[in-house]
Amino acid sequence: MSAVPNEMQSPGPGAGQAASDWHAPSVASGFAPPPPPGARVDRTRPTTVQEALDQLTVEIPGARGAILASVDGFTLASSSTLPHDPAHAAVLAAANGLALQLVGLTDGQQLRQLVVDHDQGLLLMWPIGNKRVVALLTVSNVDQARLRGYVRAHARLLAGDS
Amino acid sequence: MTEHVFKILVTGPFAAGKTSLIQSVSQTTVVSTEVDTSGDESDVKPNTTVAMDFGTYAMDDGAIRLLLFGTPGQPRFRFMTNILKGDVDVVAFVVDAEAKGTHAAAGVELRSLLSDLEVPAVVAVNRCDDPGVAAKVARRLGARNGERIVPCQLVDPDSGVDVVIEILTTLLESMDDEPFEVATDTGETAPADGQQSDRVEADVA
Repeated sequence: MSAVPNEMQSPGPGAGQAASDWHAPSVASGFAPPPPPGARVDRTRPTTVQEALDQLTVEIPGARGAILASVDGFTLASSSTLPHDPAHAAVLAAANGLALQLVGLTDGQQLRQLVVDHDQGLLLMWPIGNKRVVALLTVSNVDQARLRGYVRAHARLLAGDS
Repeated sequence: MTEHVFKILVTGPFAAGKTSLIQSVSQTTVVSTEVDTSGDESDVKPNTTVAMDFGTYAMDDGAIRLLLFGTPGQPRFRFMTNILKGDVDVVAFVVDAEAKGTHAAAGVELRSLLSDLEVPAVVAVNRCDDPGVAAKVARRLGARNGERIVPCQLVDPDSGVDVVIEILTTLLESMDDEPFEVATDTGETAPADGQQSDRVEADVA
């Protein structure tokens, strides 16, 4: 596992080479579909949300796609493995809104995740701060700890306050 | 005592006052899915409904109960309206009289909703005190003749009750209508439809 700190080390966009000493974990064979032609998948530390989501689908076996949405239903980024459909973000926002209500129904204070377990796999939705959610489309037996580790390591970038 | 439960769909464009209406009249804790707005919409208001509002209004010791289902207003959440609109008894369509820029799209939405659901509607014209102005706004939306139109100020908690009264009146009227609809059902099919009879004649010729 890498020991690179969460914070971006490079001063600005275009300075991606600064993190070139960081080695991406090798792509495990089998699960992840190859990136579509033209997809820009950077093996260095991602500097944009788009890059982070694309890298996630490559590095985590069984992660098919990822969408970052605002809680009010706008797409902020989605991995190149998914067709862009504005409705996805709106559906995620509505689901998040209802999930928050369900948390309140059972005296909870904080939504940690929404899991949709279906015949083709999982949809995991996690809040990123209180203004964004990330949704991950995966196979059923994805390594959730690893997925969570990846998202946590890029949380600042995904939250938009890096 | 029989309990009459009616489902009311509270809909209309973004920032019209749908959540305010439900919050002002509901007698039970409102289920609301408001979150922070972002982008251009945050210039209009800080919060917005992303899934639904739910409130209730009962009268006559619960003999009549209204279940108020509020929708989000933005077109990107239209799927929520489609989920919520099943088995609706009355549509309460909220529109902001002053937000004239929303009226054209609101009119399209109102007309398609009514032709789809075939239920009576109440048009609540928010930020409006004058019945004449409210009627003009409703006409601009292309309301048919049947809708009840009510001017209201939904920031004022008492004003929402005016809308509820119109909803109840509409329900009473539609209950009165029902036997007649059944009676006229058979006589209405063939002669009224001009296009259809033209086509029949063409076939004969």
